[in-house]
Amino acid sequence: MSQGSLRDIHSGPFVWTGIIGVTCLLLVLLEHMLWLVLPFILGTVMYYILLGPLQRLLRAGFTRNVSATLVCLVFFGACILLLMAAMTWTAAPGDTDSWHRTGARYLDGGVAFVRNTLALLEAKFPILAEMHLNAVVNKRFKAYTDNFAQRHLTAILLGAAGWLPSLLLAPFLAFFFLRDGLRFKKFLARAVPNAYFERTLYLLHQVDQTAHRYFEGLLKLTVLDTIVLGFGLWLIGVPSPLLLGFVSALLAWVPFVGSVVGCMMVVVVAATDAPGNPLIAYGATVVFVLARLLDDFVFMPLTLGRSLHIHPLVTVLMIFVGGALSGVAGLMLVLPLLGVVMVIGATMGRLMTDPRLRARHRYARRLRDRQASVDLNV
Amino acid sequence: MIFGFLKSSTLSPRQLRLQNTSLFRSLKPLEIKFVDGLMHERRYLPDEIVFDEGEEGQALYLVMSGRVQISRTHSRGRQIVGELSSGGVFGDLALLDNSPRSAQVRALDACELAVFFRDDFLALMETDAVIGYKISLALARHIGQRLRGWLDGHAQLEAL
Repeated sequence: MSQGSLRDIHSGPFVWTGIIGVTCLLLVLLEHMLWLVLPFILGTVMYYILLGPLQRLLRAGFTRNVSATLVCLVFFGACILLLMAAMTWTAAPGDTDSWHRTGARYLDGGVAFVRNTLALLEAKFPILAEMHLNAVVNKRFKAYTDNFAQRHLTAILLGAAGWLPSLLLAPFLAFFFLRDGLRFKKFLARAVPNAYFERTLYLLHQVDQTAHRYFEGLLKLTVLDTIVLGFGLWLIGVPSPLLLGFVSALLAWVPFVGSVVGCMMVVVVAATDAPGNPLIAYGATVVFVLARLLDDFVFMPLTLGRSLHIHPLVTVLMIFVGGALSGVAGLMLVLPLLGVVMVIGATMGRLMTDPRLRARHRYARRLRDRQASVDLNV
Repeated sequence: MIFGFLKSSTLSPRQLRLQNTSLFRSLKPLEIKFVDGLMHERRYLPDEIVFDEGEEGQALYLVMSGRVQISRTHSRGRQIVGELSSGGVFGDLALLDNSPRSAQVRALDACELAVFFRDDFLALMETDAVIGYKISLALARHIGQRLRGWLDGHAQLEAL
């Protein structure tokens, strides 16, 4: 008889080796599908955000189709309105190229900050002055920025244009997850033989719960990051601390790399908006480094790692492995993939090695064969 | 179900059969449709095992058509303790706790069963108190009836 609780599955070293191996293999395969990975992650996050309202509408008597359409319309409509309001608010009236000028101002501010810092370093450390560090860096900067438009702008614009359609996939994915998610689950369950049915239902439920917990953890992490960064930046006097904290928290969805980009953004803003006080930009760097350390080694293992029931050490190690194997895509995907593969691996290991379930399945197949050939002379 | 009155209450034949089971009799048509959306459909051949004694229960079963036989292992072999036909409910204790199945269920005829997965039921209890309350009450009555039968010495169906 197949006994023991499915809730207390503890995998051995062989299963864990398989789980980590399959996760790494999937990461390598998915590296070439980054265009799909990002919208898929965004779509899944939206799905879990909108699942609660969808269920409320279903209970109110709306059909699944109408409920999914309504929640998506309201949510994406609100997002578009917010975006338009933000753009109207930040752009001066009648000033069509204000975005360009703002970008250029912050770029100049960032460059000026680097130059000032180098000058300061040269003044403090004569060896750097002897190496003409400032002049060398300035020369490199000039060579890079002079040809920037010709060499990189087209590629950047084309890259952005290439990404836009795939990002527009996210709302569509969210809509279809909401509308057809349950139907897909039933479709999968229908393909499972009777002997394994109950346990497969449990497996599907666990996969769903794992993804739910992960993305819930991601949202919690975003809120925590926004609060910590916003508070730290507010303390040192950086303008718009909450907005900067929020954007940096969103960037932190990509472990490590997103943090570096977020830090650069905050330092550039601090250096540009307070050019006379470089201490604010240095302070912002310190706040960012502290927040990142807290995030990568405390918040992330606690929220995401714990949400997936993975040991914090394994979480941190797997993030490094994901980054080494598949770069940005690996960093983003390694934890949800590991969580899902872990649940599937552990349960499948249990199912496939249960002699009673296998015997029942063989018996059911024989019954079906017998029924199919009842009036045939075979 | 505040917009329920705007909807047609036409039920499919399968939903009508669900409504005729003791567990869902008190549910309104719209609630039946909602619950039906959560249930799975399985077909078993004569003599095929639905679940084993001692197995961890994950779901409740409703007999939509056909018959199933319930049996337990005793010191002198296997003892048949009951038989259920269309409209019958079994595996109900699995919905309430993680205890192992207390009997084996085997299809007697080709039968069609509707399956209510435990975690779907628990989620329903959390998200829809009205449907959850109605099903819980029906479950409590079902178990009470069995207990009364056992006290009267007419134990026929074991708690699965």
